[in-house]
Amino acid sequence: MIDLELTVNGELARVRVEPGARLLDVLRGPLGLPGTKEGCGNGECGACTVLVAGRPVCACLTPAAEVEGLEVLTVEGLVGPGGDLSAVQRAFVEGGGVQCGFCTPGMVMSVHALLERNPDPTPEDVREALTGNLCRCTGYAQIVESALLAARKRREAREGGDRA
Amino acid sequence: MSEEVRMPASPEYHRPRSLEEAWRLLEAQPDARLVAGGTDVLVRLREGRYHPPALVSLRRVESLRRIEPGRAWTIGAGVSVAELLEHRELAAVFPVLVEAGRRLGSAQIRSAATVGGNLCNASPCADLAPPLLVLEARALIASAAGEREVPLSEFFLGPRRTALGPGELLSALRVEAPPAGARATFLKQGRVRMDIALASVAVRLELEGARCVEARVAAGSLAPTPTRLGEVEASLAGTELDEATLARARAAAEREVRPITDVRASADYRRHLAGALVVRAVRALTRPEAR
Repeated sequence: MIDLELTVNGELARVRVEPGARLLDVLRGPLGLPGTKEGCGNGECGACTVLVAGRPVCACLTPAAEVEGLEVLTVEGLVGPGGDLSAVQRAFVEGGGVQCGFCTPGMVMSVHALLERNPDPTPEDVREALTGNLCRCTGYAQIVESALLAARKRREAREGGDRA
Repeated sequence: MSEEVRMPASPEYHRPRSLEEAWRLLEAQPDARLVAGGTDVLVRLREGRYHPPALVSLRRVESLRRIEPGRAWTIGAGVSVAELLEHRELAAVFPVLVEAGRRLGSAQIRSAATVGGNLCNASPCADLAPPLLVLEARALIASAAGEREVPLSEFFLGPRRTALGPGELLSALRVEAPPAGARATFLKQGRVRMDIALASVAVRLELEGARCVEARVAAGSLAPTPTRLGEVEASLAGTELDEATLARARAAAEREVRPITDVRASADYRRHLAGALVVRAVRALTRPEAR
């Protein structure tokens, strides 16, 4: 077993894990953050997408030991103080981007990562950013629409100055 | 604990911070498996394809993560595909690497997967291999004993087999900046956008006016290793790339490749793709707007 100090959603956490433990298992287990889902476990479906140092990664392919010293952001970390959903999360609710919901946390994290880098994406940019996220319910149309809605809301909030 | 079963079970996981530290670990455990981004190794571990006594992760070895411009660029083996794509100066000199990098996996995979891992995995379908082959990249191989350099074309020995000996690792690639007048493109045929290549082709042409003075062509998923297609190159070089030449290049490609039939495609279809992709690539490179 090894001791790790991880920074997850802005908080420092100490865990004792197997040397090769996956970030996914550490998040869902000892850290009590089950928002990140396990789909394929092979890096193909994107249900376990989290951000490490601002980049989307599959938590199922990320050894927990490798994220020591790096910022990890999970879907739980998008929620504001007081439980407010982020603009991306709200857009998925309003835009009908959620059906069964299993792929949603991964989709939301991929869209969040995209919008942090590219605040004004084209539909093609969104589809490109989501090639690593599979959804078996929606057919993707509403997910892409939700992402574009989120981009618009975020831009409006920014142009409006103070988000509060 | 059921989770433990699903972990890439390995008794030891080492994170050296320098190559010196890595050599010591490899000396103590010669059967340890090197791992970079983990996108191939961890999947194969989980599938039970191998059972190394230890994993030695190279992610923290900073010297493997350098990108150094020059007449010959040095691209560290530990550079992630995402980092490669974000390097503006490199993208301007080697746009074909950007084309291929963008087709490699998903955003999530590109965040982790490394240039060196893509090559050391030695899959016939490695997306970065054909462009690096037409750029005539050289592989820098390091070990405790020192460094040696081999042309990338001699690095691949077979499916999942490379020229790396025990205690050696790929530390970087050395790639000459192409001369003015040279241009290259990478085309990949997959079933969907994020997919393993059924066939891929990189073509680099050096043109003087309408005349092709040099042609380099490399293929992925069309032979046991990523490979240059010498007959196709010969059919293009010294010509004006007219329709008759393209027909000869297509026939040469169909003749020269050695594809297999597997779950993704038949050998016949891959052979057809080889010819089609070569012709499509040459046309793309000689369109007026490409000049």
